[in-house]
Amino acid sequence: MVKYDAVVVGAGNSGLSAAIRMQLGGRKTLLIEQHNLPGGCATSFRRGRFEIEPSLHELCDVGPENNPGEIRELFREYGVKLNWVPCPDCFRVISKYSDGTPMDVTMPDGIDAFIAKMEEYVPGSTPKMRELFELYEEIRQGAIYTAASAGKADPNYMREHFPNMLRTGAYPVSKVFKAMKLPQKCQDILSTYWGYLGVEMDHLSFFHYASMMQRYVRIGAYIPLHTSHEISTAMLERFRELGGDVWFNCRAEKFLFEGDRLCGVRTSMGDVACDMCLPNINADIVYGKMVPKELVPEREKKLSAARNGNYSARMFVAYFCLDCDYHELGITNYSYFLSGGSDSAKEYANLMGGVKTNDYCILLCYNVANPEFSPKGTCVCSITTLASPVDWNDGDPTTYVARKEAMTDKMLAIVKEKTGIDFTGHIEEVSIASPWTFARYLGVPEGAVYGHEVRDWDGIMPRMMMLKQDYPVKGLRPIGAGGPRGDGYSGAYITGSLVGKLALKDLNDWAEGGAK
Amino acid sequence: MALKVKISLIGALDMLKFKNMAADREKAIQAAPAREIKADFPINNNAKALHPDYLDLVVKEVVDHPEADAKSFILARAEGGPLPYFRAGQYISLKLPIGGSFLSRPYSISSGPKWALDGMYAVTVKANPGGFAADWMLDNLKAGDKITASGPLGDFYYDKYRDCRHVLALAGGSSITPFLSMAYAIQDGVEDFDMTILYGSATADTIMLRKELEEIAAACPKVKVVHVLSDEEKEGFEHGFITADLIRKYAPAEEYSVFICGPEAMYRFVGREIEKLGLPRRLVRPEMLGVTKEVWKQPGYPAEAKDKVFRLTVKQGPEEYGIDAAAGEPLLVAMERAGVKAPSRCRSGQCGWCRSRLLSGRVYAPEENDGRRWADKEYGYVHPCATFPLSDITLEVPGEYL
Ligand SMILES: Cc1cc2nc3c(=O)[nH]c(=O)nc-3n(C[C@H](O)[C@H](O)[C@H](O)COP(=O)(O)OP(=O)(O)OC[C@H]3O[C@@H](n4cnc5c(N)ncnc54)[C@H](O)[C@@H]3O)c2cc1C
Ligand code: FES
Repeated sequence: MVKYDAVVVGAGNSGLSAAIRMQLGGRKTLLIEQHNLPGGCATSFRRGRFEIEPSLHELCDVGPENNPGEIRELFREYGVKLNWVPCPDCFRVISKYSDGTPMDVTMPDGIDAFIAKMEEYVPGSTPKMRELFELYEEIRQGAIYTAASAGKADPNYMREHFPNMLRTGAYPVSKVFKAMKLPQKCQDILSTYWGYLGVEMDHLSFFHYASMMQRYVRIGAYIPLHTSHEISTAMLERFRELGGDVWFNCRAEKFLFEGDRLCGVRTSMGDVACDMCLPNINADIVYGKMVPKELVPEREKKLSAARNGNYSARMFVAYFCLDCDYHELGITNYSYFLSGGSDSAKEYANLMGGVKTNDYCILLCYNVANPEFSPKGTCVCSITTLASPVDWNDGDPTTYVARKEAMTDKMLAIVKEKTGIDFTGHIEEVSIASPWTFARYLGVPEGAVYGHEVRDWDGIMPRMMMLKQDYPVKGLRPIGAGGPRGDGYSGAYITGSLVGKLALKDLNDWAEGGAK
Repeated sequence: MALKVKISLIGALDMLKFKNMAADREKAIQAAPAREIKADFPINNNAKALHPDYLDLVVKEVVDHPEADAKSFILARAEGGPLPYFRAGQYISLKLPIGGSFLSRPYSISSGPKWALDGMYAVTVKANPGGFAADWMLDNLKAGDKITASGPLGDFYYDKYRDCRHVLALAGGSSITPFLSMAYAIQDGVEDFDMTILYGSATADTIMLRKELEEIAAACPKVKVVHVLSDEEKEGFEHGFITADLIRKYAPAEEYSVFICGPEAMYRFVGREIEKLGLPRRLVRPEMLGVTKEVWKQPGYPAEAKDKVFRLTVKQGPEEYGIDAAAGEPLLVAMERAGVKAPSRCRSGQCGWCRSRLLSGRVYAPEENDGRRWADKEYGYVHPCATFPLSDITLEVPGEYL
């Protein structure tokens, strides 16, 4: 049997990050991936003369070279070199304010610019907005501190340096906004990013929202020059350079145990022995399908039952490759958040109601950020919404295309109504991905790419606080969007690195303790 | 710190709330029942049913088309039951263990999607003198034989967002198969568009699947078939080749899309004719054409390599193989000859399924077949089905779920 120190199962964002981390830590690592290329969500596909980005809208916390964010720093530490392109502005949102009046707002990145623009839309808001960003920054710093202390944060240090984070972090976003007496219109505009997390403002911790929003606004967001497949390929290249091995089209089927300690992985290419396994797989699948029943810890069963299948972000995306310049279509912004209203609870309910009630989508035009994205005189757009199981649980294949088209028709109508943008007569290539598509390529439960919702008691802060309790099986440390740092590219990269460090520590401790 | 945000009346309670997040989470977890974890999801099962890794099929029936030197193989699932539904125009990749070799060949499904619900696909195979797999199938495959295939694949189908309501379908010889499937789909109400097929054959008596096509055209006003005979002048048939003028003659007044599927020679000819029509690219959809047959005629091919045989080292998971690779054949063919189960689907350089890492050596990849992603070119990945060796090679290939 071949033997490695560690096996990373799945070359998604988290898996690639963990694989590099393990190899950097001097552990001989095998990365296996069921698909024939790396990246999971972070990949690309070709249609005609186009290469299409399937998932990445914008990657936060990269930042410019002279003011790097956490992700640029992480990639530097890893030795992964990439061509980053900044995304102009934070977003344009076309919706309605809570009082029913129309909202059409474009928010720039950079804190000062953001606040100045808010002043234009909501006169008099500057002092409150300054306070808010001061709080955001405190929380961002606090988040970095807690991550670095890996579950061993010093309460006194926290009280001294992050008192406001401690006061606000555990509350839902909506509650903190209210307590701060932010003007309602500010609250409406500030809620825009909720769709990136897939949880309504009444159930999302302020800690999470604040640290994410700060990551987007402070130093802007970036995309790679040649789709996220470039990131994944560059990461894999680095992993190889460091001595790691990779097997593609190789599926892990079961974890193998010696007593209660993991000792290997059964794969479609044979058994592999190892002391540590980091599956880039949702915990429900890891413990529900891949660990022998008698070894599944009680607490994992309870955790899964408590989460009760509340998977987040069942994606639906329609990709359009267009045979004209984006200016010609009247596109002026990189990303448009289009919704029926700014009440996230109502929007969330509408999404979960399926195609009939869904009135939310994000329109993106990659060429606005990156003119080189597609051949001269063309552009590529995507329309993304969150799908509901009510539309996709039905397995009837004969209505599948019609269901995809019904959702796409609806999204195209929203785009046209709210922005006036109409693709008709310019569509050269098109591809529509439903939750079935994401389930097919990624294997994620229900095609949901965020893991379990970061809702209420199960937010990222308590997850970070419980790193000790959350990995009850020796030698098994699941990673991915369902992990302590939550979903999104940056969350997944950081979780891979963080849990990778914990795994390295395990291996070192075991070596010192004389145990295998 | 100037800023002091308070949520409740007594700020200290808020701090406690923060500190208690872990305890609260544990409480929520412990309050839940320790029930078995269910990891069975309808959405994932639906996806798997539509896109299986592989299908174990059995030949149910062989229909001879002697006039066209072809046969249709009616394939069913070995264990019975419906086959994955598909978009008319898609293909399956047949896996053929022949002697010590392990070949794969893409074939468009020639039956309509509705058949799949009744558990059947048809593929129609035409003789290919000098070839290998096609003639082997015609000579050897018989009812009752087992055969493995991929699920349906490919992007050659009608899309209402992209394509005009009226499609002009240009076919030559055996390449009528995807259009026959589309015609069935239109007749059955699965697809809704108008299709005029311009179908090139040598003579009237050698037209493949003529009866099937004409039956549909007679019954379904949305489908029209025009035969174009290269070697015969005959009443009721067009004579010559599929030219720009002929396309104009049968094109509707309003904007239309052109779909093309044919042998390499037809692509090259029809491609030039279509240019004369001045259609924008979005209105012209060619099906994949396979990989160029005579690579040494391609621009930039180093003449001295032409007849050489190189050593190819293949790494696949924990395995390693050493085999020969002729300069004139794609790397995939070398692996298949040697019986290495390398993944492949379209064999046209486009689908990326064979994507492999070139660890050492030099290769030639014809521009017209190069469907690689940007980063793959940059980081030394190749599509072995469309890549030819110019030196000894070491290649790392993905596994194959067979
Ligand atoms: C998307 C698509 C759909 C298609 N649909 C249809 C269809 O519906 N009907 C139809 O008739 N055709 C169809 N075709 C074409 C069909 O796939 C080819 O005609 C078929 O592959 C011919 O097989 P062949 O092996 O005889 O051809 P060849 O071109 O001879 O075979 C390919 C390669 O096999 C190699 N080879 C030769 N000898 C050996 C050996 N001893 N061991 C290993 N390798 C060897 C050759 O070097 C050659 O490069 C389709 C093609 C595509 C791309
Ligand atoms: S098999 Fe499709 S690209 Fe090689």
